[in-house]
Amino acid sequence: MYATFDLDRPGDLAAALAILRTKGAVALAGGTNLIVDMRAGRERPQRVVSLDKLGVLRGIRQARGQVTIGGRTTVTDLLLSPVIAKTAPALVESARQFAGQMVRNTATVAGNIACGSPAADLVPPLFALDARLTLVSARGRRTVPIESFFIGYKKDIRRPGELISRISWKAPSSRSCALFYKLARRKGDAITVVGVAVALDVERGRCRRARVALGAVAPTVFRAREAEAILEGQTLTPELIESAAEAAAAAARPIDDIRASAAYRRHGVHALVRRLIGQAWEKLA
Amino acid sequence: MSAPFDPNRNLANVSLRHVGKPLVRTDAPGKATGRTPYAGDYVMPGMLHAKVLRSPMPSARLVRLDVSKARALEGVALVLTARDLPDRLAPTDIPGQTGQTRLKTDQQILVRERVRYHGEPLALIAAESVDVAEKAMSLIDYDLEPWPGVFDPESAMRPGAPVVQGTDNIVARHAIGKGDIDAGFAAADMVVERTYRTQFIEHAFLEPEVGLAWVDENDVVNIRVSTQVIEHFRFIADAIGVPHNKVRIMGALVGGGFGGKEDITVEIYLALLAKHTGRPVRLEFTREDSFVGHGKRHPFILTYKTGVKRNGKITALDVRLVSDAGAYVFLSPYVLLYGAIAAPGPYLIENLKVDAVSVATNNMYTSAFRGFGSAQACVAYEQQMDEVAQAIGIDRLDLRRRNYLKTGEPTATGYRVPSAVWTERCADIAWQALGEKTPAKGAIRIGRGLAAYQQSYGRLTFLHDTSEAWVGVEVDGTVIVRSGVTDIGAGQASALAQIAIEVLGVNMENVVVYNSDSAVTPLAGTTTATRALYMTGNAARVAAEAVRGRLVARAAKAFGVPVDDVVLADNKVSALDRPDKAMSFADLVRLCATEGIQRSELAMFRAPFTDRLDPATGQGQAFADFTYGAHAIEVAVDTETGEVTVLKSVACHDVGQCINPAAVEGQIEGGAAQGQGYALSEEMIYREGRLMTPSLSEYLIPTAMDVPVVKSIILESRSGVGPFGAKGIGEPALTPVAPAIANAVADAIGRRIHDLPITPEKVVRALHGID
Repeated sequence: MYATFDLDRPGDLAAALAILRTKGAVALAGGTNLIVDMRAGRERPQRVVSLDKLGVLRGIRQARGQVTIGGRTTVTDLLLSPVIAKTAPALVESARQFAGQMVRNTATVAGNIACGSPAADLVPPLFALDARLTLVSARGRRTVPIESFFIGYKKDIRRPGELISRISWKAPSSRSCALFYKLARRKGDAITVVGVAVALDVERGRCRRARVALGAVAPTVFRAREAEAILEGQTLTPELIESAAEAAAAAARPIDDIRASAAYRRHGVHALVRRLIGQAWEKLA
Repeated sequence: MSAPFDPNRNLANVSLRHVGKPLVRTDAPGKATGRTPYAGDYVMPGMLHAKVLRSPMPSARLVRLDVSKARALEGVALVLTARDLPDRLAPTDIPGQTGQTRLKTDQQILVRERVRYHGEPLALIAAESVDVAEKAMSLIDYDLEPWPGVFDPESAMRPGAPVVQGTDNIVARHAIGKGDIDAGFAAADMVVERTYRTQFIEHAFLEPEVGLAWVDENDVVNIRVSTQVIEHFRFIADAIGVPHNKVRIMGALVGGGFGGKEDITVEIYLALLAKHTGRPVRLEFTREDSFVGHGKRHPFILTYKTGVKRNGKITALDVRLVSDAGAYVFLSPYVLLYGAIAAPGPYLIENLKVDAVSVATNNMYTSAFRGFGSAQACVAYEQQMDEVAQAIGIDRLDLRRRNYLKTGEPTATGYRVPSAVWTERCADIAWQALGEKTPAKGAIRIGRGLAAYQQSYGRLTFLHDTSEAWVGVEVDGTVIVRSGVTDIGAGQASALAQIAIEVLGVNMENVVVYNSDSAVTPLAGTTTATRALYMTGNAARVAAEAVRGRLVARAAKAFGVPVDDVVLADNKVSALDRPDKAMSFADLVRLCATEGIQRSELAMFRAPFTDRLDPATGQGQAFADFTYGAHAIEVAVDTETGEVTVLKSVACHDVGQCINPAAVEGQIEGGAAQGQGYALSEEMIYREGRLMTPSLSEYLIPTAMDVPVVKSIILESRSGVGPFGAKGIGEPALTPVAPAIANAVADAIGRRIHDLPITPEKVVRALHGID
């Protein structure tokens, strides 16, 4: 059962941040990781700070070409938003395949990022969007690229008491295409074996910008920069796409676990990067 | 013995008013509105909460067990260890009703010295709250010394392998020999030999094990529990050392069984704790407890060697079966026997040899699971049929057509099935119902597969199975059915209502069923082995017919007509062609009541009682009857990622006679989903005996996103030995699904994966040879 803990439900952000400075306090958003970990005895917080009353942290806005969402925006919120549908189709695809309906209704975007799992489904599409995270604490706020947020397996740059308050990205141009593929052992409610997000911007028959973000094949989600470099500035051919896929597979550092072997994960990266880049290019060319 | 099936016998002039209709089940309104209490909903004032401390090691010696700190904790009422139960063992055999000798398989209740599997119980705790019980669990000190274990059945059979228990690791053997196997192979144009493997799987019922026990004013230990078998009361009484009439089991509607609640789960722990504390005790397994707290489906290694002529006629079949019994015997010998009998499938094999062995290991013990050995056999025999068809270059369905067992022909044990054998009809219909083939595209390949089967319903006939039901009518014309049958979600109780009202001519709203109480409802046996409808349904029919006989006789006298002219329907009594003669059903019952005519009947139905099979040849009668049918599948396989998507899932079964077609469809759809999990995603992984898939996030049952709309085609030969010609469908619905999927995947990719589950990784390895 649950350990004994104090529960706070602050009504404004400043109060929440003040409590989060105290030792042993953890933030509770959707709870789909924290509650499970507490039940299993893996987490034993002394103080749980529920963010459920902080409406300010939930919402989706688009202004001046910039999309901003609150950290407590749920996965279901993403699926219901025309703004997200238009500006982040790969994120929508990952949200659609995220866990099951009940979890999607409560799990939050910031929670999925902050849990630090390399298999977190929303993260590769956010990498492909060059998303930026706003971190707030009682001491102030800072904004960082999502790519620099993760520093190791379930390790990130947050300081004690710091929350992810916002996630933002530049709305992509009409000459861009982003795709996501979740490779898993079943279609619903599954933990990802390989997650791949790609984004291409094409101008005058050339790939201007390429993003290849990989999940569940390294200690953190990461960008396969070698693969991106092979594609950027080029008119894509099957050979180029194949070498980008090979470069992505070579950059993966997967592990063996009960879901899949490292060899299979590497194979999956290769096959899916090739497939998604090919599809994106075909759509834009 | 039943007479052989006469196809003209039952089909004419059958007019049923209630049986065969999708009536609202008696259990439906309560479930739909949330008013139905399950076993876990029952509480009592002053009750204690129990926990079971389990071994984290699969093979070890218990060197030290110190519960003093746990006993001293405030709020702890009792901590029991094996030292507190020096002379007690727990039976693990099939619960019998007719005094058969119990197999010598009793096991320790709590670890005395040797730990034989991961999760074996070390101590029981009863405390004022679950939190205190958990705290007490953490205060128990113990030392386990690793002990050499053995973790696969092939190693366990080798000389010098660590012995799990007793003198060797052989738990059971069965042999079947029929015809001349050497001559059969000599007559073959080709011999095809393949080995197939199946995995440990988990029942994953919605409702984990739970119960509440208390000792009443008569010193009877009462246990309200989620179980398929209330008649474990005898074994529970033996285990705690009280007479059989001092244990009463009350069931509740069960949130899924599938064989996983066929053995004793929480009952003995509850009985011991309630008896020692004198207080009510509740024990609820978490999902994680449940995963280590009941037996799994046996993994089998199945080697098939088939001799076949160029024209497709099978001339010989040599089968070797090895099953992993895990650390304790439980139902392994019976599961193995089912596998051996089912080994040739629904085919007439004149020259047959089956050698089957079940072997102990330090893996989780294995026991009953929907399909009970026959399902594992089907995984092999139906894949083997496709392999043989491919080897000789004939159509897969044609090969089957040339070999199907037909009505009146002998099975593997030489028994002539009394009912219709409609395998070919079912297979052809299911196959055609797949419709137009989905086009392949890019990396996606489309494949189709079919599996036919033969599956027994009803227990092994040498177990001398019986079942009782009581039917009575009240003076207002309402009907009561009483029977011990447990309802595990398939409508077992509701079926009795439909049968009783069919016989008595009243409507569904006028009947109530009381069931699942070992002390006050007549004993009906187990809800296992696809036997509840066959056995208890027949008992209810016989009881209702006896009541009907007396009522009709009285009505005939009142009307002055022959008894055959009395009609009972729609709560009314009338006479054929005599519109002036009529009364309400209630008036007739009142008339009988005033005259002291008995308005109730307790009936026993007996399955055929036979001797055991010939030990050398395996010949004889093993079952009363079999169900036949087929499942057809279309899959899409992504040849790059290895993902398999089931596009179409079509079942066609001859159920003899539907009692409630909506319930039959429910069974078929559930079987299709469970079989899909067996084929593609489900596996309890044990590494050196340790469970690596301890929760539903690692153990992957298919979700609504994975299972397509299942098409159920129900045929009714009205030839079964159940009530109104019914056969059983509980287990049969599952049996052919996994091999049909395996055949579809092989058809799609041109390679066969011989071991379940067919994971994306195995598909990729078969196609691309990654490593």
